[in-house]
Amino acid sequence: MSNELQPIIELRDISKSYGSVKALIDVSFKAYAGEVIGLVGDNGAGKSSLIKVISGVHAQDSGHLFVDGIERHWKSPHDSMEAGIETLYQDSGLAPDLTIGANIFLGRERRRRGLLGRLGFLDQRGMEREALTELEKVGISVPASKRTVSQLSGGQRQAVAIGRAVMWAKHVIILDEPTNHLGARQSQEVLKVIAAAREQGLCVLFISHTLPHVLEVSDRIIVLRLGRVVRDSPTAEYTVESLLGTITGLSEVTNN
Amino acid sequence: MSTSIDTLESVGPSALKRLQSIVGNQQFILLLVLVALVIFFGERNSLFFTSSEFSNLLIDFSGLALIAVAETYVIISGGIDLSVGSTQAISGVGGGFAMQSLMNHHMSETGVLLIGAVICAGIGLVVGAVNAVLITKANLVPFVATLVTLSAGAGMALVFSRGAPIGQNPEAVAWSATGIGPFTWLVIIVISITTILGITLHVSKYGRNNFAIGSNSFAARAAGINVKRHIASVYMLSGILAGLTGMFFYIRSGAGSPQVGASSNLVAIAAVVIGGASLTGGVGRITGTLLGAGILTIVTDGLIFINVQPTWNQVVVAAFIALAAVLQSIRPGLRS
Ligand SMILES: Nc1ncnc2c1ncn2[C@@H]1O[C@H](COP(=O)(O)OP(=O)(O)OP(=O)(O)O)[C@@H](O)[C@H]1O
Ligand SMILES: [Mg+2]
Repeated sequence: MSNELQPIIELRDISKSYGSVKALIDVSFKAYAGEVIGLVGDNGAGKSSLIKVISGVHAQDSGHLFVDGIERHWKSPHDSMEAGIETLYQDSGLAPDLTIGANIFLGRERRRRGLLGRLGFLDQRGMEREALTELEKVGISVPASKRTVSQLSGGQRQAVAIGRAVMWAKHVIILDEPTNHLGARQSQEVLKVIAAAREQGLCVLFISHTLPHVLEVSDRIIVLRLGRVVRDSPTAEYTVESLLGTITGLSEVTNN
Repeated sequence: MSTSIDTLESVGPSALKRLQSIVGNQQFILLLVLVALVIFFGERNSLFFTSSEFSNLLIDFSGLALIAVAETYVIISGGIDLSVGSTQAISGVGGGFAMQSLMNHHMSETGVLLIGAVICAGIGLVVGAVNAVLITKANLVPFVATLVTLSAGAGMALVFSRGAPIGQNPEAVAWSATGIGPFTWLVIIVISITTILGITLHVSKYGRNNFAIGSNSFAARAAGINVKRHIASVYMLSGILAGLTGMFFYIRSGAGSPQVGASSNLVAIAAVVIGGASLTGGVGRITGTLLGAGILTIVTDGLIFINVQPTWNQVVVAAFIALAAVLQSIRPGLRS
């Protein structure tokens, strides 16, 4: 990456503890538009904690977060959404009792036109319709959007969540284990969706335990271990074995 | 992970499926039950069909409707408000003192009642705000927080009133009987508020947020909804509605009684559950709640009409809650 390029996201020395558990220790990295970054690490390495800091679910204890060169302090996930960052959370970001359409538009509901709209009536039909077409656009087909999410299979739910993230993201998409619950074919679909997002110039943070997927789709891979970044290199410099070794800490190849 | 649909479909017998599709429309079942009850009580005592009894039913229904609507919002948001009964008592008593003093200053009856309504709603809002702080700031679970205000409110109502009704106002009672046909003004006001809040729940962003928070509060927060502020507002709304119900009973009985609303929190919760809401949040309909409240009102009044000991009332209410719970458990695809 050339240095005159402005990173869309930059983390400097981010640390975060939950009580006595140190989930993140001095994490720093830069992410650029049009780049897919694989974020890998063992269970409990701090991946989800990291993305929750970036998306505003948690605030860091120390360190700085820059978006497009400007330091930001999120008060809530709402702020990061406004800044064009969409997140698919590992621990389900969908409301099971709401319809597919209601979930897609959650937090961004549109009102009807005219007097009823001014009285606060939501454009429920329009949103349901648009949700379906938008999901199809990103290559995800789901049953009629009037169904509630609780009536979908695990994979279909995951598809809706991915579709929502892709649909709204302006600058950054964060996907925390998006291929969870998915079969082989659907996983490939998700990888295609990620590649398409890169083509559109988005920055994608892709978290997964399926290393071949990460090696296949990402441009750069960041390895977290026990809350620290232990390696941050272009994907070409990894093999499955070296990646596994770095994740587990058995091979001591680090970049510091 | 298998959803309840999958498990039920794998059982497979078509009779079960047919039962599901009928029961799936719980509103329809409730309507049938309501009609059946009217016919049942009317058969036993034809006076049940008179317009004066209809008017009575409307009034009793109205005494329950506002807090049932409040409880619908709260329960769909994933909480519960046990304090709606004692809030009626404390607002009726507090409002009673205020109105007494206004009457002593020879204010016009309309002025007294209007200011009284504002004061009752205000006292309810204060109780609701206390609930909101206990839940969103002190992180108490709603059950405990509203149990605290339930006890505190009931206790304060008794202490301040020394157990006696406050602010004797016979003119209010006279006014409470006026209206259009069987619909008294009080009933018309309650139905209007209920309609507006019912529509708001199902068509507005505020209502949508309420369902989302009850269904998965993390998802709601992640979607940019200010969950704490919303929850706080729901308990304050509930408080206001309970306060207005206090005013309702002040007008009906012509004084603010500390005993009013003693078990009405449970009746309101029962109406919501019978109406098909899930106590775990995210699911419910205002029409269901109102049908539930209608059924409970008809049962309560009807039992008196056919000379059944009022003590049986609670048993019958319990039977209806149990029935509603059974209906819910065989309803398809409710939750996984
Ligand atoms: N809300 C929380 N409260 C307390 N501790 C937490 C919380 N969330 C995460 N942790 C702890 O922080 C550490 C990092 O967790 P995190 O969820 O970020 O890991 P992860 O890399 O996403 O793991 P996985 O691959 O299993 O999803 C773990 O030790 C975990 O137990
Ligand atoms: Mg994780």
